[in-house]
Amino acid sequence: MQKIVDNHPLKAFNGLTLAIENAINAFMTSKYNPFYYHGALPQYYLWVLYLSGLLLFAYYIPTIDNAYNSKLLTNAWTSVDYITKSLPFGGVIRGIHRYAGDAMVITILLHALRVWFTDRYRQYRWLQWVSGIVLAIFVLFIGQTGFYLVWDDRSLLLTRMTASAFESLPVVGPGLKTWFLNGDQITNLTLSNFLFIHIGLSFFLLFGLWIHYLRMTRPVLTPPPAVNYILTALVLVCVFIWPLSSGNMADLNKQPVSFDIDWFFLWPYAMLSQMPVMGYWAVMILGTVAITAAPWLMIPKQPAIETAEVVLNKCTGCSLCYKDCPYQAIEMVPAPAGSRFKLLATVKDFRCSGCGVCVGACAFDAIDLPDLPDAEVNAKIKALLEAKG
Amino acid sequence: MSDAKKVITLICERACDLSGIVDDSGSCTEVPGMKVVKFPCSGMIQPLMIENAIKAGADGVVVTGCQIGDCYYREGNRMIRERLLGDRPPTLKKGTDRRRILALWLAKPQRQRFISESKEFIATLNNLATPEAK
Repeated sequence: MQKIVDNHPLKAFNGLTLAIENAINAFMTSKYNPFYYHGALPQYYLWVLYLSGLLLFAYYIPTIDNAYNSKLLTNAWTSVDYITKSLPFGGVIRGIHRYAGDAMVITILLHALRVWFTDRYRQYRWLQWVSGIVLAIFVLFIGQTGFYLVWDDRSLLLTRMTASAFESLPVVGPGLKTWFLNGDQITNLTLSNFLFIHIGLSFFLLFGLWIHYLRMTRPVLTPPPAVNYILTALVLVCVFIWPLSSGNMADLNKQPVSFDIDWFFLWPYAMLSQMPVMGYWAVMILGTVAITAAPWLMIPKQPAIETAEVVLNKCTGCSLCYKDCPYQAIEMVPAPAGSRFKLLATVKDFRCSGCGVCVGACAFDAIDLPDLPDAEVNAKIKALLEAKG
Repeated sequence: MSDAKKVITLICERACDLSGIVDDSGSCTEVPGMKVVKFPCSGMIQPLMIENAIKAGADGVVVTGCQIGDCYYREGNRMIRERLLGDRPPTLKKGTDRRRILALWLAKPQRQRFISESKEFIATLNNLATPEAK
């Protein structure tokens, strides 16, 4: 009857996670423990990024025109320079946009590590894991396009590295490069494309998040306000301690040779600069496949789930289990002809986690876990009380 | 009437770890008179089970789930908490003696807290009048 709980390889990490959270609960209480909102933290930073991004978008000009390399010209670099130095609070908004992005990467990593350590990513949760990987890749790419948009030395180097890395791929390579540069070489249209990718993919994140939340009833989307204030304050502290500045304006006639690595978004470029391009692609693609397949590769396997079963002649169609199921695994269907009731609960086995919340929700004993029926539980309680007088 | 109060603990198997202090018959070795029934999740506990336990002669019932905010199955401990508070159906029947029910939300490492809270609970039970014989 009792299933094994701790049979996954990360048992020690699970204990560590719980111990850390327990320590945080001691002074923050479980209501404000940020670890209990680990999925909502990046979601909060996404809203911050949308808002600060909207303000930057109002002043950003996506062109590279620098024929005379004059700062009087209007182009991407000078518009960013204007935002940073002349616009009231422009530098702060830019800083918020950058550091909220970094914070989003950190919180996504925490989120992923926590679900991994506590073994909450497999079986009936595979869709969340796989969609999460896709979302993380998009976040990384969106962040990188943000670094191209500034259009300083580093942007130029990154753009050239990306274009040549794409080009080296067989079959799809030349097409990808043309798509990426919006033509055969770097022109004004290239930056339009970067801006489109940066903003367009950001909105695609919402579609991805819809899939990410799809199988969860009442997903936790917002941390409590007090946690939001802390998250915002952390970003603002970074903005004022490390104010942002651009490098020199990009010059298409020069090839920058080195750049500062931003370890949140630009680590793939650090790898790319250290290894042959095909090796880089091999590592990236195989790594992604391996992480995506983690729910099926991890050993030892979880025991098969005993999904809940509806007792057909007892179900009254009251919908309580349907409302309480945390995984949207119960569907109310029209009751068969001749039934006294209008609806009947049915279990979608592929979504069911076997947690038994539906059993707790049922006032009619009409739903059971096959390996632990509630009649058995009640009998056990009675037997325990009768033992030893 | 025996001295030790009879207490049933309905506990999530992922909540505070009692593996060392519960014997095969379900008795807790650290807290005299306590019997333990494990569930895959505290969300599975029906208010009816608590009522049945009291009807069958339990002096008290301890419901234990993980820390609120942390549930392996997302919402199980919140569900039973709301049911006990009467905010989510099915709830406890009106006549149920709520002084005999204790809810604890404890993470895996909090065994000592479980023992001390249960002992304190049993002490308060000792001060209550015995329920009418059924």
